[in-house]
Amino acid sequence: MVEGRNRFSTTSATESTLWSTRMFSFILKRLFSGIVVLLTVSALTFFLLYFAGGSIARNIVGDQASPEQVAAKEVELGLDQPLIARFASWLTSAATGDLGRSWFTSEPVAQALSSRIPVTMVMVVTAMLLIGILAALLGVAAAVKRGPIDRAVQVSAIIGDSIPGFVIGIVLVTLLAIQLKLFPATSTIAPGVGVDAWILSLALPVLALVLNGVAGGAQQIRSAVIKQLERDYVRTLRSRGISENEILFKHVLRSAAPAGLTVLSLQLIGMLGGVVIIEAIFALPGIGPLAVSSTSQGDLPVVMGVVIYTVAVVIVVNLVVDVINGWLNPKVRVS
Amino acid sequence: MKLSTKALGLAAAASVALTGCASGGGGTTSGGNAGPQPLTLGIFGEPRSWDSSQAHVGHGLQPYQVAYDSLLLREPDGKLSPMLATKWQYNQDNTVLTLDLRTDVTFSDGEKFDAAAAKANLDNFRKANGPQLNQLAVVEEVKAVDADTVELDLSAPDPSLEFYLSQAAGLMGSPKALGSEGIKTVPVGSGPYVLDKASSVAGSQLVFTAREGYWNKDLQKFSKVTLKTLQDSTARTNALVSGQVDAALLDPKTGKQAEGAGMKLVTNQVDWTGLLLMDRNGEVNKALGDVRVRQAINHAFDRKTILDQVRLGRGTPTSQVFGKESGAWVEDLEDKYSYDPEKAKALLKEAGYSSGVTLDLPALPAEEPTLLAILKQQLSDVGITLNVGAPIANTFATDVAAKKYPAIQFNLFQGEPWVAINQMISTKALYNPFKNTNPELQAMIDAVQTAGPEAGEKAKDVNRYVTENAWFAPLFRVDQMYYHNSKITVTPQVQQAVPSIYNYAPAN
Repeated sequence: MVEGRNRFSTTSATESTLWSTRMFSFILKRLFSGIVVLLTVSALTFFLLYFAGGSIARNIVGDQASPEQVAAKEVELGLDQPLIARFASWLTSAATGDLGRSWFTSEPVAQALSSRIPVTMVMVVTAMLLIGILAALLGVAAAVKRGPIDRAVQVSAIIGDSIPGFVIGIVLVTLLAIQLKLFPATSTIAPGVGVDAWILSLALPVLALVLNGVAGGAQQIRSAVIKQLERDYVRTLRSRGISENEILFKHVLRSAAPAGLTVLSLQLIGMLGGVVIIEAIFALPGIGPLAVSSTSQGDLPVVMGVVIYTVAVVIVVNLVVDVINGWLNPKVRVS
Repeated sequence: MKLSTKALGLAAAASVALTGCASGGGGTTSGGNAGPQPLTLGIFGEPRSWDSSQAHVGHGLQPYQVAYDSLLLREPDGKLSPMLATKWQYNQDNTVLTLDLRTDVTFSDGEKFDAAAAKANLDNFRKANGPQLNQLAVVEEVKAVDADTVELDLSAPDPSLEFYLSQAAGLMGSPKALGSEGIKTVPVGSGPYVLDKASSVAGSQLVFTAREGYWNKDLQKFSKVTLKTLQDSTARTNALVSGQVDAALLDPKTGKQAEGAGMKLVTNQVDWTGLLLMDRNGEVNKALGDVRVRQAINHAFDRKTILDQVRLGRGTPTSQVFGKESGAWVEDLEDKYSYDPEKAKALLKEAGYSSGVTLDLPALPAEEPTLLAILKQQLSDVGITLNVGAPIANTFATDVAAKKYPAIQFNLFQGEPWVAINQMISTKALYNPFKNTNPELQAMIDAVQTAGPEAGEKAKDVNRYVTENAWFAPLFRVDQMYYHNSKITVTPQVQQAVPSIYNYAPAN
């Protein structure tokens, strides 16, 4: 008896160690492929911006500048160097953590990103957590109860998808900030302000993102749960007299989770683009306005910084989702 | 979050200390000569660099005025008054400008303002390759004659030079900070306010506190000035009507919401909108080389209808490109090209283009799509086909200079006559890329250059010439819609959409 238990424990520990080793190896592989993706996207962005044309130097020195002024600015920025040499120079600096300075504002790119990323990430992560919780509750309720809740989720999903987030944002700011004066109309986030300013400034943008995305997420989770409920193993569990709650929470949700998580991760990645307009409407000092202005100006050091941030977020989100999926459902664990 | 912002503040303070450019009272003084009321303005964007040599015009000048004084002060009506220079005068042939300077002014880092400082600034402006470098293009040498006198030797007269000394070229920074890395992110001027870097976030808001001991109490009316960056017009409007900012530039559509919320309008005209018919020798578009075709284009437009539809009537239809306050404005040119489709058709026929003319325009960023749709329709009615090309982004100035476009639709600033001539009429002008000229016109331009105070009067001849020869197809002068709340008063500044910082005052 004791021997058997020991044998069982040993086997279980070995499996656990094996799984940990495999997962560690998987994470390393994904991180390595992430670095390759990062390098590829960086190179593509750098070259695309070059071929997008236009004289950055002319834009900086102004439309009244003489050709000599423009040429001098090109030399100052290193734009007279061959493209490959410029990319190599940028890459070498970036590898040491030096992302350079904005061509237009002289602000260090790392500083520009570090002051803006927290605003965007707090907004996006909060919105996604709320969407995740609400979508899971609504999706499961719609799948299990069906009837009016199900129909409401589906209709809401269509409405939520068809009304852009920025329209919801404008309605919210008009009603709750300007008419009822419950929230500030634009961001009050600044150095030294308290948590209350962050909460009040981010409440409406987060609400706009949640209203825009929750029903769509719920519909996807609903479909995943219904698909699992119709599987043979659920019928088998029912035939064995296992309670509906146990079937739902111990088996069905675990199996449906990967699909739901994938949908939510895609929503989060899509949201990184969608928040650009939301941040403009609420004048939030996030990444969005920086991304728009740097891209339209051709401010290459800043654009490259924004691209690195975006790709890094995508890589991390995908990795986290894969790891959670593996943890939740043995069937999708790496082999 | 608090930790990170504190850390940012510490980092900022450390960087200021390291660069040695920290203001003597930077971020530590408040109150000074000012009253207790703060001022918060919604602005389009922050300066690219706080180095005064990189200052811009229009919207771009106001932030610099918060921290920097200029040699001359431009009053709201355009008249020039003493500021850091107490007196100034030209020699007889307008080639030497001598300025007497104040002796009681210090910069925020404690450095003294004197002739050597003024010379250092003007020399720095001439070599720092800023966006307004051409403002001192005619200055050959700057001499510090004595401690409070500086002399500018010019290669040729420039009727706008005094105006420029009230603008970017006249901004004075600490000679110790000029050219340093620190001044790019922290202004070091002698102006009424100093940047509170710890409370500022680049791209979001700039906070300035009143500088203690500022020499001109009349120009320091607030305890604090906050410039809040609000690029989106919806955000600007919401911030204004909800009381987050005291004033902001809106447009006719968002202005209605502001008026509904009781905001007050300050308006003036700064730009003209229309077509620049640049290929006047017909190098790319042969038809544009015929003055009758250009005149036909002018007669094709129903300017009032266009103005009503595009800007809710907020503006003034016009056929001339010089502004009403420029001194070169001519009343009888205002309606030179009345809406007359039949006359347009007749002119095309007379020019041999009865079968039609094609006009290509690039689409510009932030362009009003309704405007181009209406222009296309009205030109089509007289037999001119308007093709709107692909939108362009940051290639605009380069492409214009490279003669890529025979014509463009644009908004252009209506400044001082000499500024306008060098912007769109002289052979040096960016918006005359085909270098159109002739001895008659050049003589008129030369007359403006040497006319001194009479430059505006002389520029009327240039105005008549380019209007009668249809160098352009102006549509209307645009009303700027600057709104403010009742806590402050605002005086409009001639030729500026956004008033100078000196034009704001507490209402009480």
